[in-house]
Amino acid sequence: MSTYDWLLFLHMTGAFLLVGGGVVAAALNIASLRRDRPSEILVLFGLIRIAVAAIIVGSVLALVFGLWLVNEAPFAYSYSDGWVIAAIVLLIAGNAIGGYAGSRDARTAKYAEELAAAGDTPSKELQARVRNPITLAGNYVSGLLLVALVAIMIWKPGA
Amino acid sequence: MLAAIRPDSWNFPLFLHVLGAMILFGATATVAIVGFAGRSRPDYAGMLSRVALNTFLLGIVPSWIVMRVAAQWIVGKEFPDEDAAPGWVDVGFLVSEPGAILLIVLGILAWLSVRRGRPFLAVPLLATLYVLALGVAWFAMSAKP
Repeated sequence: MSTYDWLLFLHMTGAFLLVGGGVVAAALNIASLRRDRPSEILVLFGLIRIAVAAIIVGSVLALVFGLWLVNEAPFAYSYSDGWVIAAIVLLIAGNAIGGYAGSRDARTAKYAEELAAAGDTPSKELQARVRNPITLAGNYVSGLLLVALVAIMIWKPGA
Repeated sequence: MLAAIRPDSWNFPLFLHVLGAMILFGATATVAIVGFAGRSRPDYAGMLSRVALNTFLLGIVPSWIVMRVAAQWIVGKEFPDEDAAPGWVDVGFLVSEPGAILLIVLGILAWLSVRRGRPFLAVPLLATLYVLALGVAWFAMSAKP
């Protein structure tokens, strides 16, 4: 196997961790929308931390080995190619928007923890925070940006 | 090498195949995570078993179908003579087809976990095994050893 083959595998590993982590976070987030007890919401939000770790590791691997691949690939790719720049912008934007929504979810988890310790009774305020449209929009937009990123990687427009 | 030299008509099935595989990976990892969490948090085992079953039905099943149909679509374009397909293609089919049997067993056990109200250890173990198998497949698909 050549250096290019190894770099492509490591880049793909990063992409799988990034998108797979996003899927895990989405599944747990959607599950939390159907729960009422603060402690249940807390358990689901707590598990999202595993997804966040996968997203961070995946983003770093995909970016580092992706940039290395641009240099190593025998297809005259350039760092100034539109698809390379678009991919970097989408990766940063997806992580920034997802990170913003995640920080709001973290505050909701903290609130759920307080409610769980104080009797674990369902709360309309907690439900409102879990279903906050800005937070949900941030999560879904960051997911859509990841899908767009995969599409850019496949089509490589302008390459 | 394929990425730069493939015809444009291969891009859409490749996109569906890769995206389907990534979602399948994430959905299977979710089942593993909530399955192990259910074992260590008995008070929430019922809820987490239900999350595992819903993720199986709404995540694993559709993404496996998209991944597998798109795989056949692009193999048909890239290797019209199936006998000429290289070994890395066979690795993908080895993971997807016997893997489907494993996923069916996983789905049945996830359903039984919900029905009986107790989490089966086999659910996260099988999910972890399939996640590892997917790792082998993406190694074969990307590095093409």
